[in-house]
Parts: sequence; C-alpha cells; structure tokens
Amino acid sequence: MNVLNVGKSALTVAQLGIATTGHNIANASTPGYNRQSIVQKAAAAQSFGNGYLGQGAEVGTIVRSYDDVLAKQVINTTSNQSSSSVYLQGINEVNSLLSDDKAGVSAVMTNFFRSVSAAAANPSDIATRQTVISNAQSLVSRFTAVNSRLDEMRSNINTQVSTSVATINSYASSIADLNEKIKQAFSSTGNPPNDLMDQRDLLVAKISEQIKTTVLPQQDNTYNVSIGNGIPIVLGNQSQDLYAVPNDTDSTRLEVGYGASGSPKPISGSLTGGALGGALQFRDETLDTVQNQLGQLAITFATAFNNQHKQGTDLTGTVGQNMFNIAGPVAISNRNNTDQSKQASVAITDPSQLTSSNYTLEYVNGQYNITRQNDKYVWTNVTLPFNQDGITINTNTSSPTNGDSYLIKPTQYAASGLTLAVTDVEKLALADNPSKGESDNTNALKLADLQNQNFVRVNASSTNRTFAQAYALTTSAVGIKANQMSIINQADKTALDNATSAMQSQSGVNLDEEAANLLRYQQAYQAAGKMMQIASNMFDTLLSLGR
Amino acid sequence: MRLSTNTIYANGTNRLMGLQSDVNDLNEKISSGKKVRSPADDPVASARIIEINNNKSMKDTFAETRKTASSMLENYETNLSSVTDLVLNIKSSLTAAGNATYNDSQRQSIATELQGRLDSLISLANAKDSMGNFIYSGFTTDKAAFTSAGVFQGETSRMNLQIDDNRTMPTTFTGDSVFNANGNNLFANMQQAITLLNTPITDATSRTNFTNGLATALQNTDKSLDSILDTRAQIGSQLNEIQILDDTGDDISLQYSKVLSDLQDLDYTQALSDLAKKNTIMEAAQKSFVSTSKLSLFQFI
Repeated sequence: MNVLNVGKSALTVAQLGIATTGHNIANASTPGYNRQSIVQKAAAAQSFGNGYLGQGAEVGTIVRSYDDVLAKQVINTTSNQSSSSVYLQGINEVNSLLSDDKAGVSAVMTNFFRSVSAAAANPSDIATRQTVISNAQSLVSRFTAVNSRLDEMRSNINTQVSTSVATINSYASSIADLNEKIKQAFSSTGNPPNDLMDQRDLLVAKISEQIKTTVLPQQDNTYNVSIGNGIPIVLGNQSQDLYAVPNDTDSTRLEVGYGASGSPKPISGSLTGGALGGALQFRDETLDTVQNQLGQLAITFATAFNNQHKQGTDLTGTVGQNMFNIAGPVAISNRNNTDQSKQASVAITDPSQLTSSNYTLEYVNGQYNITRQNDKYVWTNVTLPFNQDGITINTNTSSPTNGDSYLIKPTQYAASGLTLAVTDVEKLALADNPSKGESDNTNALKLADLQNQNFVRVNASSTNRTFAQAYALTTSAVGIKANQMSIINQADKTALDNATSAMQSQSGVNLDEEAANLLRYQQAYQAAGKMMQIASNMFDTLLSLGR
Repeated sequence: MRLSTNTIYANGTNRLMGLQSDVNDLNEKISSGKKVRSPADDPVASARIIEINNNKSMKDTFAETRKTASSMLENYETNLSSVTDLVLNIKSSLTAAGNATYNDSQRQSIATELQGRLDSLISLANAKDSMGNFIYSGFTTDKAAFTSAGVFQGETSRMNLQIDDNRTMPTTFTGDSVFNANGNNLFANMQQAITLLNTPITDATSRTNFTNGLATALQNTDKSLDSILDTRAQIGSQLNEIQILDDTGDDISLQYSKVLSDLQDLDYTQALSDLAKKNTIMEAAQKSFVSTSKLSLFQFI
C-alpha cells in the first residue's frame, strides 16, 4: 500500500505545481504580481527494521519571489521619477509661456518702447501717439495674461494636492485593512497569503507615486507606512488621514495637513517626492519666483514710466499724470493670530530697491523679526516702520501679541493688477514741463530712454538691470531649471527602469519558464501515474496467485 | 540574467517610445528650422539669443529714427537750397542797384522785384513738412515761424532725436538762428533795402546815404548768406554722420544676424541625416520587437 501512497503524494505535488504555474501564467501581466512557486520537500520517512523508508513528496508551502531591497528601490525610484516628471511638466509650461514670441512679455515691451521712440520723432502726430497707447494696452494685457496663466497653474496644483491627498488616504486605509487580513492569515495557517501581500505592496508602490514613502515591516507581518521625513500614515490596522488645508496666510493656496481632523497642521514643508512633492516643490521654487519676478518687473516698469511721465506736459498743456495704475503690495495676517484687528501694512518706497521675495513679519519674545523668504535673510529686533529693500513695513498696533505673524507680498499681485490709466492720446506727456509747443519731444526722449536704464534689482543683489535684461534673466533661469529637470527626469526614469527590471528579474513571470515548468510537472504527474499503474499491476499479480 | 515577460515587453515599448520621441523632436526642429526653440533646449545659447534679439531691436529702432532724422534734415537742405538761390539773386539785384546811371524809377522797379523775393523768402521760412508742421517754428510747429512782416514768432528749441546708443542729434533748425543770425535779420535788412531803393536821390547827401545804405545792405546779405551756408554745411555733416552710423549699424545688424543664426538655426544636412538614421533604427527596433515577441515556448507545446 505504501507504494500507492508515495504515488499519490507525487500526484498531489505535481498537481499543486501545475496549479501554481497556471496561477503565474494567469497573472503574468497583473500589476504588482510576484511569481509564486511551491516549496517541495521529501515527506518524513518511516523507520523499518532495516532502515528509513521514504514516504514520497509533499509541498511545504507556496511562496512568492519577493525581495524587500529590490522593492524598496522601486518605491524610491518611483517617487523620484513621478516627482521630477510633474515638476518637469510644470516648468516646461512656464518655460514656453515666458519665452514664446507671441505669449511672452519681451516682444510687447520692445514694441511699446519702439512706439515711444517713434512718438519722440513725431510728437504732434495723433496717429503716432495712438500707437503708444495701443502698445501700452498690449503690454498691460500681456502682463495680466501671463500672470493669469500662472494663476491657472497655481489652481491646478491645488487640484493636485486635493486629489493626491484623497488618493493617499484611500490607499492608506486599504493597506491598514490588508495589514489586518494578512496578520490573521499568517496566525491562523502559518502560511503566507501571497496574493494579499502582493496587493499591499502594490498599494505601497501606488502611494509612492504620490509622495516619498517609507515602509517598516513589523514582526506580526503588518506594514507601518510613513511619508515625507517619517510622518506615519499607516500603523498596523490603523490609518491616519491627510487633509488638504488652506495655507495659514494665503487661503487660496492648499497645503497638506496632518493631525486631528478638526485642526490639521500643515506639513507641506517636510514633504518631498511623488507627484504631490513634485507639484509642491514646483510651486515653491518656480511658480512663486516667476510670478513674483513678473510682478516686480510690472511694478518697476510702471513706476519708472509713471514718474517720468509726470515730469512732462501733455498736448493740452497739463502736467502728465500716471500712465499706469499699479496694484499695491499686500500684507496678510496669519489666520492663527489671536486678534485679527491687529494688522500689518506695507508700501513701496523705491521700486529700484525692490526684490522679488516675500517677507515674513513675526513678533516673538518681545521683538519684531523680519525674514526675507528667498534667501532666508533675517533682520532681528527691528523697529517699525521698517524700511528696507524698497518697501516700508508697519503694523497698526503698539501692543502686539506674542507669536503674531504676517506674510508680506510686495510683488505677487502686481502683474495681475496692472491697468492703463491714460487712454486719451492728448494726455500723453511727451513735452517738457512747461511745454514749449506741440512738437516738444523732450520728455518723450526721456521716456524712450527708460528702457536703457538699470531699474530692476536682480535677486536682492546690488546690481540692477534693464527691464529687458531682467525679463531675460527670469526666462533663462526658468530655462536652465527646465533643462536641469529634464536631465534629472531622464536619470530618474532610467533608475526606475533599472530598479523595475531588477525586481522583475527576481519576481516577474517569464512565460517560457512557466511553459517549461508546466512540462516538468506534467511529466512528474505522468511518471507518478505510471508508478501507480505499476503498483496496481503488482497487486493484480498478488491477487492472481490465489486463483 | 533572468528576464520576466513583462520586462521584455516593457523594454520593447520603452525603446520604441524613446525612438518615437527622438524622431518627433527632430521633426519639430526641422519644421521650425531652429535647434533652440526655448530656453530649456539650450539655456546658455538662449540667454545670448534673448540678449542679441533685444540689442538688435534697439539698433533697429535707432535705424528707424535715423531715417526720420535724415528725411527731416534733407527737407531743410532742399528748403535752404532754394533760400540760397533767392539770396544770391537778391545779392546780384542789390549790386546792380548800385549802378550810378540808374534813375529813381529804375531803382524802384528793383525795389518791387526785391519785394517779390522777400515774400518768397518769408514763404520759404514758413515752410511746412509732410506732416503739416512749420519747420522753423521750434516746438510750436502749429504756428508759422514768421509774421508776414518777417518778424520771428516761433519758439527757439530744437528737437533732438536719439539716433544711436549714446548719440542724440538736433534735427530741427529754428527761424531765428537761420534767418536772424547774430542780430542780423535778413528780412528786416531786405525791408530796409527796399525802402532805400524807393527813396529818390535828390542831392549829394541823399546820394551818399544811398551808397552807404546799399553797402550795408550788401554786407548784411552776405552775413545772412554765410549763416545759411553754415547751416547747410552743418546739415551736410549731420547727414554724413547719419550715413556712417547707418553703415556701422548695418554691419552690426549683419553680425547680430550671423550670431543669431549660429546660435539658433538648424543645420539641415545634419538634421535630415539624423532623421534618416533614427528612422532606420526605429524600423529595425520594430522588426526586432515583433520577431522577439513571437518567440514562445508555448508555440511548441
């Protein structure tokens, strides 16, 4: 009878082998699937007087080919790649927006100054004057158009933050569920629930597409998952939600919040990687900078033109008025400030000293500190009103509360708020003050010459540049970053491909291999059957002896 | 190395997609004719391109202004050339009037002739340009430079134009400086001469007065002529300067264009040969992918 049992064990093993191979074939293209194999071993032998007699084969367990280290590499490279790819996509848009002949500011500004030069050559001609007004209008429209495109990107990033947060939350809660199921499966059978584990690893990989993700496998076979620099979102069977919350000082700017559902704290600053990290980084590094620089250019240009225009006299003999209306700088109270009636104010005093940075005013330990955000330069214990960088900052209270803070944005809204104040051709002040006649072009020459003067302060340095140069610097800085991101993204892609293919090399299904395995188990099955046939023949022989 | 079936397909598609993107990139470059289409393509070159384009456009503006300046100056030159002819005419009439054999009525007919010349002169001094502006009125170009009696009523500022980076040039002349140079008023002088010629010579005193008066008139006319010729010489040298600036500007413009072309224009030979090469590679990759993916053990079971 032993021979039949041995044969039966061989049949069972072969059947399990074929079933597992079939499972592999069926899931060859299933995302996150890791190939499985049976762990085959000899059954415990039985002792006879003359030795141990083998009892056939058995399947110890079914395992998946999975390597923690390789998986970790895939997760890391996935988050890097999706971060740089979102950043690249964003900066490419900015890049083409700024540099485009038809969409950028550069060409219209050149045209505008050209028309001013033409008007200087023929100041009494109404048609020539009209060209100046029309080109000024085009320039204003271009500033606002570029700015509103940047605002649109800003709102896309808000959408990205909300979607990412929702996605991460849903995955995190699924992982917590799977943690529980996997823990129970292990403890009840002692065998690994391979397909559940695959699903969980796939979810981790999906989270890493959104944000940098770290997995800490626990003793009880659950995963603890954290994002950023160690913020836990899954602990055992519990998941912690993220929230999309408005920024403390800018309610139009969504941040990632973490903590109690009633009062989540913003953690955007410590998040990197993934589509979410890429979008946040793009907003902080590129979008804010470009929009502020555009605003700085708008303010500096419009103020310089206004100032010179007011030195002149128009065709009606009246002193020139402002050519452009400029949107003022903005000071926003932090929404955690205890008394919202205590407010800060900001005004521009000298556009040529203006930087493209935002500033933070804070009242801590009995003193006001001001931080220039771009380079984190701090003025400590300042006396208000504070005059620096072409702006003056003040508050409306003599009894500030400890911890109160304000965000000062001198330039961000300037490009969107720029409008044309003079639309009447006769109001163009091209003449000297007082005017000596209708062909007096003295002020027109000075207006045209503004384009050659170094009005725009570059990056809080002491060097100033012309309008065209400053715009070119912004454009080429974006170009350099876009070029760099493209290279980084290429490298990230290659790293991801390599990591994926290393992991696939370990865990992926190869159909040829499975075909070979099928043949192997099929033959084993046939051999076992043959063996049972022989055993049966042996019985027949025995039984026929009694006839 | 062990390869999973997924990897085989993924590698195949990745390679094909990479090649497709390369081909697409080349196609875009070929259709735009530019190798640098945005700062991201080549930040260094593109910064130069922006700078050069800006400089080029400034130079173009100066060149346009120079055209305006030239046409204004040429306008003055044409006008003053007629003025010169008239003044030379007047001069010879005055010289002729000194002829001792002439009687009062002959002198009076010369005076009548001179009156006509004086009117022509004033009309030339009140000339307008193509835009209808009085050219000798300073900034008050809507007002005639001289009254019909030849009194300057314009304004004395000259219009300057920016004709190059560091060069502004006065491109107008005012009536007082051209026709009233050094306190010597051409029109008043003529008026005096006409009065003189209309005054009959009756005795030795009036003869002496006439001779002296005529000599002064001739002297003053010469001074006026000098002043007009000075102005014309100045116009000539200004036109010459503009010509030189134009030549230099053209040279620089040409250099800018050349540098721009070097920086941003596509080498078509290179690009087309690259495209042909990429296409060949892509075809090969497609064929190899199809034939590799056909290989499967399952076909033999």
